[in-house]
Amino acid sequence: MSGRTISDKVIDAHARDGDDTTLYRLVDVDAVLGPDATIALLIDDFERRGLSIWDRDRVLLANDHFSPPATAERADISNRFLAFARGQGIPNLMLDSGISHQLLVEHRLCQAGGLIVGADSHTVMAGGIGACATGMGATDILFTLATGTTWMRKPNTIAVRFHGTLPAQSSGRDVVLALLALLGESGAQYRCLEFHDESTPALCQDDRFAIANMAVEIGAKFGVFVPDQTTVDYYVARDGELLGTLVRPDADAGYERVIDLDLSELDARVAKPWSPANVVPLKDLEPVRITSAFLGSCASGRLSDIGVAAAELTDRRVHPDVRFVVIPASVEVFKQALRAGYVETLIEAGAIVEHSSCGACGGIDKGVLGADDVCVSSSNRNFRGRMGHWQSRTYLASPRTVARAAVRGVLAPDLYRDVGDQ
Amino acid sequence: MTEIMGRVWLFGDNVNTDVIHPPAFYSLDPDKVRAGLFHGYDPEMQPAIEPGDVVVAGRNFGCGSSRETSIRALRLNHIGALVAVDFARIFFRNATNNGLPCLTFANADDMTRLHKGQRITVDPDAATLRTEAGEEIPLTPPGDFIRRIWAADGLLNLLPQAGSAPQL
Repeated sequence: MSGRTISDKVIDAHARDGDDTTLYRLVDVDAVLGPDATIALLIDDFERRGLSIWDRDRVLLANDHFSPPATAERADISNRFLAFARGQGIPNLMLDSGISHQLLVEHRLCQAGGLIVGADSHTVMAGGIGACATGMGATDILFTLATGTTWMRKPNTIAVRFHGTLPAQSSGRDVVLALLALLGESGAQYRCLEFHDESTPALCQDDRFAIANMAVEIGAKFGVFVPDQTTVDYYVARDGELLGTLVRPDADAGYERVIDLDLSELDARVAKPWSPANVVPLKDLEPVRITSAFLGSCASGRLSDIGVAAAELTDRRVHPDVRFVVIPASVEVFKQALRAGYVETLIEAGAIVEHSSCGACGGIDKGVLGADDVCVSSSNRNFRGRMGHWQSRTYLASPRTVARAAVRGVLAPDLYRDVGDQ
Repeated sequence: MTEIMGRVWLFGDNVNTDVIHPPAFYSLDPDKVRAGLFHGYDPEMQPAIEPGDVVVAGRNFGCGSSRETSIRALRLNHIGALVAVDFARIFFRNATNNGLPCLTFANADDMTRLHKGQRITVDPDAATLRTEAGEEIPLTPPGDFIRRIWAADGLLNLLPQAGSAPQL
């Protein structure tokens, strides 16, 4: 019998019974993440059934979709959500503090080796720091809020090993887009993607979050990095010490498939409308005039992403035909970007910097697209109609590619060639 | 679970939840949620749906967002079942948890035997699909665990009584 993967170990450690032969298992979770839009859907049922939350301290609620609300209807939904959170006495209610997935990885509730569920598909991002985290819908989350448990199948695991050296102009976004090109939208369906970072130097933590975040675009249940020194450094910087458990796979772990990805030759990648898996190398793309550029979302709104954009826009101007919207992933990231001078650089260059929230990624507010808009975006999905009008078109790319296209006004194959750095 | 009789609405691969239910129709108002079903894809479709109709699709149906408004919209329009080559994970859970049966073809190629508007009967517990012509297409048996959630008409009816431990 082969050894166990990370997700095998985490699920075994959280299962209510010792029988690992059954297809579905009841597991205890360590934390629950709840954004406003999904939690709002379960409040009526929760209250009608007279339920109470199994452990308030393990719940993190955040109003990130409607922050602040753009319409009266959403203000009402937001108020309902906030009244529920306050009425239940949730200590970790994060009011207007940023995108829930970023808030989770900034919080001590998220620990290596933990099993976390959240009411939004991008919960998987916490895998960037060695947690098994996954997204679910309102009904699942209601069940978990009431019981602290959920039903789960133990997924097969695909190991992805990164080798070589990622070029300085490329980022985790280019890595995960290359992976999407390889596996497609369902290539990791029901599976755990287990990332082994053997590249030199190791990928930075922000790149790891971007890759883990978009594991769900490949269909994955978990997208978890094997914890290493980068992981430990992150926890020590956040908590002062390592509180969680570094769960690593056995040397003889049984993988459904092993993918080796050499990062050394990886240049800029772009996902064309209307699928995150519709990926081509930027250099093979026909030039596309853009009207909109978006840097933000839980996939890529972190400090290093904003820093790259600021570097690209230093002493340059956003193209006069382009609206460039920047949304830091959390207020904490926003404050760091302010202190580093990035926000001033971006605004001087003509960008709009908006309050930390989901924004236009899910077609909510702060830059929703019209029929004729063509957008290059660092968000995670370019599904048809997602960012606004059904006719609008979104291309997904790295923060650097987004910033360069915003300056040029064109998502062009030579965005990197003309500055002689790729 | 009783048999479902209705017409086929046919879709291809990778139909995501933003297409099933566009974000602009996210709401707590059932009328607004109902009207949004497949609105961008085909604005004529939702008013033409009849109770018991069946969504038939290819691979990875329901990928993307976990917003359960996509399931609510299907239920509010009285879609009886979904039959696909396979389903995205979160969508499968959400539909199952709400007592909306998701079944997969035992043989993926069988999808090509169905066409839009065709009248079919789906028996979720027996895992079979019959056409008007009497053709029987095998589906993958869902297993006892999923049948239990269907029989309870959703996961919430399996919530443990106060003070007792949750069980599967």
